[in-house]
Formats: sequence, C-alpha cells, structure tokens
Amino acid sequence: MSELTHSSMRDARDAEDNRLLENGEIDLLLAGWYETIVGRCVAKMRGPVGEDVAQFVCERLWRELKAGRHRDGRWPFRVIVHQVIGFACRGWYEQRWSELELLEADGPTGDGFTSDVELQLTLEGFVASLPPGDGEVAGLWLLEGLESDQIAERLGKQPNAVYQARFRIVPRLREWLEG
Amino acid sequence: MSTTPDQLLDELVGRWTRGEPLAVDELLTRAGPRSDELATLIDSFLERAPRREPSPEALAFVHTLDTPPLLRARQSRKLKLDDLVAGLVETLGLPQDARAKVRRYYQELELGQLDPAGVAVSVWVALASLLGRDARGLAGAPLPAVSAPAMYRKANFDDDLLDTIAPGLARMMTEPSVEPDQVDRLFGVSSAD
Repeated sequence: MSELTHSSMRDARDAEDNRLLENGEIDLLLAGWYETIVGRCVAKMRGPVGEDVAQFVCERLWRELKAGRHRDGRWPFRVIVHQVIGFACRGWYEQRWSELELLEADGPTGDGFTSDVELQLTLEGFVASLPPGDGEVAGLWLLEGLESDQIAERLGKQPNAVYQARFRIVPRLREWLEG
Repeated sequence: MSTTPDQLLDELVGRWTRGEPLAVDELLTRAGPRSDELATLIDSFLERAPRREPSPEALAFVHTLDTPPLLRARQSRKLKLDDLVAGLVETLGLPQDARAKVRRYYQELELGQLDPAGVAVSVWVALASLLGRDARGLAGAPLPAVSAPAMYRKANFDDDLLDTIAPGLARMMTEPSVEPDQVDRLFGVSSAD
C-alpha cells in the first residue's frame, strides 16, 4: 500500500490537477473528471436527464478553463468541479438559471463553497477509519484499484479471506457515505 | 431475489477502480424501487473519490466541446443532417417539399445562427425523439414560462408599412416552397427571406 497519508494523497492529486492547469493541459484535466461528472449528475438527477446536465457542466468548465480561469490554484479544481455539479443539478429546472454566475473571477465564495473546501471526507479517510486488516484490503481495493485475487496475492491471503473482508467493508462504506 | 443497493454499490466501486464506464443509469434501473437510496450512495461516493485517469473516450469527448452542442448531439447519434431533417419533416407532419426550408432553419439552429427562443415546442419534442437528448437545453433556449399569457397586438397596416413589406410579400408569393408560413412559425422566423 502507498506510504502516503490520506491527506497527502489528496494533496498530491490536487497538485497534479494544478500541474495540468499550469501546463495548459486542460483537456486531460477535464477528461479525468468526466466520469465523475456524468456519474454524479445521473445519480443526482435520478436518470438520463443527468447526461444533459453533465454536458452542461462539462461545457461550462471547458469555457472557464479555456478562458484561463482557476489557474491561480486558490481553489483545488476538484472543489470547483463538485460545486458546478451541485449548482447545475439544483438549478436545472429553474427559469433563467444558466444565466446566473456561479464563480467570480477571483474564486468562489459562499458558505456552501467553504464547507466543500473543508470537506475531508475522502476515500483515504474512510480507509484510515477501518481496522488494520480490513483497512489494508480496502486500501488496495479502493485506492489502488486491485481486484480481489490481486489483493489476496499482494497480502498473502486466501482469496476467500479477501472476499469476506469486502463483504464487511461494503456496509461500512455505505454507512460512511450516508454519514 | 433482487439486487440490493449494497451489491450495486459494490459493482459501481468495482467499475470505478477498474477504470470502466460507470453506467450509473443502468445501476439505478436495476435498483428498482430502491434507486433513490442507491443514487444517494453513488453521488456521495463519487463526491469523495478522486478523479480517474482520463480515458481515450473521455478525452475524445472533451475535444468535441468546441463543437456546437446540437451538432455534437447529432454527430454522436451518427445522424446525417439530411436524415435528421427527414425525421423532423415526418414527425412534424410537414409536406416533403418543406424539407429544404426545414433543413436551412435546422442547420442555422444547430450552428447557433437562429434564435432558439422562438422555436416551437413541437420542434423541440421532435428533436428530443430524434437526438435522444433535450434539444432545447442543448441549443441554449430558455424554458417556457409557466403561465405566460399570450400577447396579441392589433395590426396597423398603414401605407408606409405596406410599402415596406410589399417587396417581401411579392418574393414570398413567387417562392416555390410549400407552406412556408408553417415552417417559419415552427422555427420562430418572422420572415421567409
């Protein structure tokens, strides 16, 4: 498992986003967030209309990135992505909503935004909250993307032990997501 | 036995870690009456998960973002302009010889050269069925007012006005297209030039 702490892993990802922004590789940056945007919009809108909302979110972010916004690194790009998703999903059926300005030139403000910035509830945080054995499995599964048999091999465990661990982890993950 | 939200969440996490398309809509459908519960879990998971490495498909999508949205939607359905126009003419119940005009107006709409605000609801409905998307939103048209009353103004044809519109009227009368007024109305175009 990675030696990075969960907060430093998040910081490393934010730094990678900033690097892409500074290098002008905005297509790679937005493409990296694409599945998150579509998945969240479809989930929040409870169906295929979410794809239209996601399209709007991508278009908006793309316009802003092309205009050179968000390069100052004041706000992690992930925060901006999630803020635009929330804004678009909440306002999708409201009149004239798309004319509203969400993000000012020098960065977003508002109570909701501040709380998003301070959100420490990352997957790394969840993994760290688990007992050591399950935490190791969860880390390899959620953070490193290994399949159960690969996890078993890495940890020198029987595959069934890993399946059992995942069976325990999923309800914990659910509780954490609902929390 | 139906699939539980926990099982479907597990599936989503598996897709996410493997870098596969998430297909959230499909998972919500499979959750049936518990789709709300699952949607909340998925939303929360994706809000907290880091982004993934960009897939070639996602990168290709981003590279299309400079294309006008309606055009992009048609291209993603692999529909040729003429095929879409034929579908529009049929769905709207227009005569076949209105096709050229519909084609012109639709193309202007697609390229952002025609104001979407005046386009009739029936056109948006037809486009939604052809494109599989909310065409009104893609074109950037405002949503219809919930209870906006129809406003009428009494015509006041004076001589000056007749002098102004007479050449246009003469041109319209000599145009070979059939029922231009109906197509104009559908696309919110006030004159047939």
